[in-house]
Amino acid sequence: MLRISQITISHLPKSRILIIVTLLFFVVCTNTPEPGMRVVSLSPAMTEIIYALDADVSLVGVTTLCDYPPQARNKPKVGDFSNPSLERIMGMQPTLVIVHLPEQRRIQDQLERFDVNIFVSETRTLADIYAEIRKLGTLLNRSQQAESLVHTMQADLQPISPARRKRVYIELSPRPLITIGAGSFLNELIELAGGQNIFSDLDKDYPIVQQEEVIRRNPEVILVLHPVAVGSRSGWDNVDALKYDRVYADINQDHLMRPGPRLVEGFNTLREIVGE
Amino acid sequence: MNKYLIVTALFVLAVITGLLIGPAPLDSTILQLRLSRVVLGIFAGGIMAFCGGILQGLFGNPLVEPYTLGSASGAALGAACGILFVGILNPLFAFLGSLGVGFFVYTIARMEGGLLRDRLILAGVVMSFLCSALVMLIMVMGGRELYEVLYLLMGYLGVIIDASNRWYYIVLMVVSLGLVGFLYRYYRELDIISQGIETAAGLGVNIERLSLIIFVVTSLIIGITVSMVGAIGFVGLVVPHISKLLFGAKHLRSLPASFLLGATFLLFADTLARVLTVYELPVGVVTSIVGVPFFIYLYRR
Repeated sequence: MLRISQITISHLPKSRILIIVTLLFFVVCTNTPEPGMRVVSLSPAMTEIIYALDADVSLVGVTTLCDYPPQARNKPKVGDFSNPSLERIMGMQPTLVIVHLPEQRRIQDQLERFDVNIFVSETRTLADIYAEIRKLGTLLNRSQQAESLVHTMQADLQPISPARRKRVYIELSPRPLITIGAGSFLNELIELAGGQNIFSDLDKDYPIVQQEEVIRRNPEVILVLHPVAVGSRSGWDNVDALKYDRVYADINQDHLMRPGPRLVEGFNTLREIVGE
Repeated sequence: MNKYLIVTALFVLAVITGLLIGPAPLDSTILQLRLSRVVLGIFAGGIMAFCGGILQGLFGNPLVEPYTLGSASGAALGAACGILFVGILNPLFAFLGSLGVGFFVYTIARMEGGLLRDRLILAGVVMSFLCSALVMLIMVMGGRELYEVLYLLMGYLGVIIDASNRWYYIVLMVVSLGLVGFLYRYYRELDIISQGIETAAGLGVNIERLSLIIFVVTSLIIGITVSMVGAIGFVGLVVPHISKLLFGAKHLRSLPASFLLGATFLLFADTLARVLTVYELPVGVVTSIVGVPFFIYLYRR
């Protein structure tokens, strides 16, 4: 790359070089939010937000789970979501590291011994997500973009109030049965979309529940966010969702599980399913 | 005569409460769901206690059970490897883990000629630690499978039974119960071994061969059980003691009693857990919390 550009440049007249260099300087300047800002994002959702804020030039490291937008895959990796490598993170010489709690508390503790700013992302409500987008916008010198992103999301996530809310059960894992409680933003998203999470009385974020409890609460809609088929489960015959064939398994779980801009797409899917 | 009646009555009571009590109102589909859970409970509790009883008899050591011999931890390790590398819970992996670790423990204890019983338990505990460490490693490496592995370690009766696995479970249970019956035929040899190895050898019992058979077969049974409901601790250790307290040391009676008491105990613990909370608790947690005080009470009497 370097060699090619050197050859090209050496063939050009000097005045042109000056213009190109000046132009390049401007391009670089306008694309750099904060000169010297080097961000490592350990949260796939925050990586998406950084791209949405058009601040990805500052992004120097991501996790293997950071797969959206597709160009994020080309960024250097510092490990996976649950086990990022401290050495790789510090090797990127970051000025800001974004950690996601509660999963990354350990790496946060380790990072605190170093002279690096830590951005803690802990999203239990939609309001948390908006606040974090704004805060990140300020840090990355992208306040306006952040403000408009929040406004777009809020405008898109208009609450729907149907005459009767359908009972919704979301299954994250079949063994054990893991679902969504009131402590998750997804619970809020279901309610915004006009549904009623059957486990919204549990204040945990991802409770592990009994089969019988699911059957007793008789969901009308089941969203399956894992690859195992929900078919002829013994004892589930009288569950409304199964009786009326309202089990949905082909949903992009990243649209629902990642507290970022694509929640809007998840919301639209939910609205179609619940609102029918 | 009275004791048999009481144990049987308790078992029946455990089955009935297991079927009738639960969060959902009773109807035929809920009954079907609870029936599969009760059957799994009887199976797992019975198998763990039976294997504990037979291993304690064989090795003449009150601390021997599927956990302390490394078989249960080995099975959990094998199953965890299966989840991580193949993506499914496979009894073959659990069996290989159980057999592999069991065999290793056996080899260590057999060094320098005869089987050293003290060394067996030490090797078993050490290998259990190693297996637990490796399972933790797998949990850290895996992401979302984490909970599945955790429940595999602590026991889980809430398995979803559907058309894809119903017959598979039934076949595995029938095979395991067949093997339990096969092991039970050795009750006389076990009685003789309990008198002392020298006496047994003098009476013509081939201890070496018997140990090998019991070791391999219990490993197979435990591997199957762990792959179905996870490694449920405590039952295999304590229930055989209770059984011996009640029915004496003769294996003809103590082994079936262990099976029945193990099943009863696990069913009661599971019913209690289901009623107390809407959450699904790992059943091993409940058996230990309920079982330890009960055991201390019995032992002090």
